[in-house]
Amino acid sequence: MSEAKTQRHRPVSGVYLFVLALLLLGRLVSPTFWTAGSLLQVVQDVSILGVVAVGLAFITYSGHFVDLSIPAIMAVSGIVAVALLPYGYSLALAAGLLSGLLLGLVNGLVVGYLRLNPILWTLAALSLIDGITRWAYGGQWIYADETTLAGTRFVGIYRASVLGVPAIVLVFAAVAIVGGLLMRHSGWGRNLKLVGAAYEPARMSGVPVRRTVCIAFVLSGLTSALAGLIKTSLNKYGDVEIGLGYDFLALTAVVLGGTPLAGGRGTMAGVVGGALVMGLLGSILPLIPGIGQDQQSMIRGVIFVVVVGLSQWALRRRGRDDQ
Amino acid sequence: MAAPGQPVLQMVGVTKRFAGTVAVDGVDFELLPGEVHALMGENGAGKSTLMKILAGSFADYTGQILIDGQPVDLRSPQAAQANGVAMIYQELSLAPPISVAENLLAGRLPGRGPWLDRRALTEQARACLARVGLEIDPAVPVEDLSLHEAQLVEVAKALATEPRILVMDEPTSALSREEVDRLFELIDRLRGEGLSIIYISHHLPEVFRIVDRVTVMRDGRRVITHAIGEVTSRSLVELMVGGSVNTLYPVRERPASAVGSQPLLRVEGLTRYGFFHDVSFALRPGEIVGLCGLAGSGRSEVARSLCGLDPLDEGRVFLAEEPLMAGDYGAAIGAGLAYLTEDRKAQGLALRLTIGENLLAASTPRLTRWGRYREALGRPTTAGLLTALQVHPAEPEREVSTLSGGNQQKVLLGKWLATEPRVLILDEPTRGVDVGAKAVIHRAVAHVADQGHAVLLISSDLPELVGLSDRILVLREGHLIGELRGEERSEETALLAANGELPGRRP
Repeated sequence: MSEAKTQRHRPVSGVYLFVLALLLLGRLVSPTFWTAGSLLQVVQDVSILGVVAVGLAFITYSGHFVDLSIPAIMAVSGIVAVALLPYGYSLALAAGLLSGLLLGLVNGLVVGYLRLNPILWTLAALSLIDGITRWAYGGQWIYADETTLAGTRFVGIYRASVLGVPAIVLVFAAVAIVGGLLMRHSGWGRNLKLVGAAYEPARMSGVPVRRTVCIAFVLSGLTSALAGLIKTSLNKYGDVEIGLGYDFLALTAVVLGGTPLAGGRGTMAGVVGGALVMGLLGSILPLIPGIGQDQQSMIRGVIFVVVVGLSQWALRRRGRDDQ
Repeated sequence: MAAPGQPVLQMVGVTKRFAGTVAVDGVDFELLPGEVHALMGENGAGKSTLMKILAGSFADYTGQILIDGQPVDLRSPQAAQANGVAMIYQELSLAPPISVAENLLAGRLPGRGPWLDRRALTEQARACLARVGLEIDPAVPVEDLSLHEAQLVEVAKALATEPRILVMDEPTSALSREEVDRLFELIDRLRGEGLSIIYISHHLPEVFRIVDRVTVMRDGRRVITHAIGEVTSRSLVELMVGGSVNTLYPVRERPASAVGSQPLLRVEGLTRYGFFHDVSFALRPGEIVGLCGLAGSGRSEVARSLCGLDPLDEGRVFLAEEPLMAGDYGAAIGAGLAYLTEDRKAQGLALRLTIGENLLAASTPRLTRWGRYREALGRPTTAGLLTALQVHPAEPEREVSTLSGGNQQKVLLGKWLATEPRVLILDEPTRGVDVGAKAVIHRAVAHVADQGHAVLLISSDLPELVGLSDRILVLREGHLIGELRGEERSEETALLAANGELPGRRP
């Protein structure tokens, strides 16, 4: 029993050991790394990725691997919001979020109800949405008009702070807490775990498997849209390319946090830890001489392969090959 | 070549033990050249194990096997094949997306250097198919064939290894009457060519039609071998069932409420084209009703369709006289129906999750208030079930995959008991389970009925079906052909009825 328990908790503590090691490495590389301002900066930098990862975690947890259309959804929500800013700040934000929710719903209907392969469908969705957006906006940047109140407020989202803490860090925290409650303490989260661990037995237990999976994609669409709004606020313009790479980074964070690609286990605390690791890497690696963008990208690739490999190996060693 | 009259196969004192049990116990078995020999017995009698020994599936059997009078060692599938043994299992072993030709010649595809020799492939495949009288294009993928054609391809594949001995395990369970006729013509022709065939089946009429001799097994031993003309279906059934070791079944008083009270489950004219037709019955409170039928009779199909898991073409289902919407499994469960699947590993349990998570897997709606899952509400249920079902080890945090088969099956039953169902449908509730777990499960099922709920029991374990059921519905080829009540219920009558011979009636 004690062994079973440690098995279940190890993934979370594991990723926080990684966080700790990176904090130590950061101190070695830069003496000013261990200051409140510097650490908050790290968290602020990782907030957008963290919000995406929380939503994506539901999909991975449900055994449906990944939503590859995340970058396109981020772009659409940002562009929609900026385009609608003249009609009011709240309306623009709501429309941005709604666009993500609807795109997530389409993904959810196709993957959840029609049972298309999630990787193939969301890859196709990425291309479709991206193409439509480019066609509609000619691939141009759409600037938020900072001479209007709505424009100023929108651009201010990323830059606002509450009692010295960046507002978006609070947004990330809120999303993570709500996500954690949904995953751990809701009836839907309970069903999602069953679906992820064993789809057919879940169905035979009366779990509404299609709806359960569909909701995971809707939530991922929603968090992607939220992340897209924040990123657009940071950039001050809507752009089709803002989401580039977030799908892969978020998936790395999720798997790093102890959710295996096979699904059925994992925690939101682990996902947050995984996002922190990615953020710390992004802050520390550039400080090391000789490491540029290309090397960082390679390091992230290696981490992904190693983490996925380790998680598969650990499952196989325990006689539970998930293939 | 063997001297005339010399057996092609002799098994002498063959024994195979599994942990704790003797599955095959000192069996002597003889097979003559050019004979079709039926191997019969109840589930668990040791037929399959004996045939697996012959196919080289076990390296650790004891006893002697002689082929053409020469002692052989069949301790690997390769050794069995090299000695001329070929098997055709119930589940086909063909790869559906691959062409017939490649399936037939898998592992010995004709080549010219590094390239596949397409012409030789087609020619060799045609020759194989000709032996079973199948005229199809060898380039067609197996998935485009009918089940019957695929089965003939399977036979052709087995024949391609030039066997002396061919084992067929329930080859007709998925075939139509006309297809059975064609398969029997083929068997006749192969017999004429001198091939010896071991034929495993529960279908008595087929056995009488096609075989020359029959061997009956019971409790791992050979009971008797007879020429088919020397036995009747009744004497065969008695040999299979007679004196078999019965576990004790819980004694139940049939509650008076069962008579005349409103049925908990009533189905009317259930039909799924091609599977079952116009099936009607009712379960009353406190009743355990058995559903008996041969493989392929539509037992599980009826159960799956009435729950809403599979489609229903006609008919209606009432739970406590409230109509159930067809095809809505979730609603049926919500209304108090439970269906325990026959496939524990693929459909029953989430093997990677814990005992506790599996026990409550079907209870999420009951434990959720305003969207919030109340984990604490489930704990007493879990603890109660672990005790009642004597799950060992009784640790809710343990992964289910680490349990023995018997304890896994208890957890699967516990999952449905946790939903407190009014109607419990059990599909093979004790398949592959040890005697101890079986007794626990039987007591739990009896307890459900004693509480005034209704149970529909589907089982090919005859002692279980007879011992546990108050009455037995008989399903044959998708039709409900009768019911066994009171004194009529015995293993013999059940088996005869499943074969179409109801007591007091002649087919």
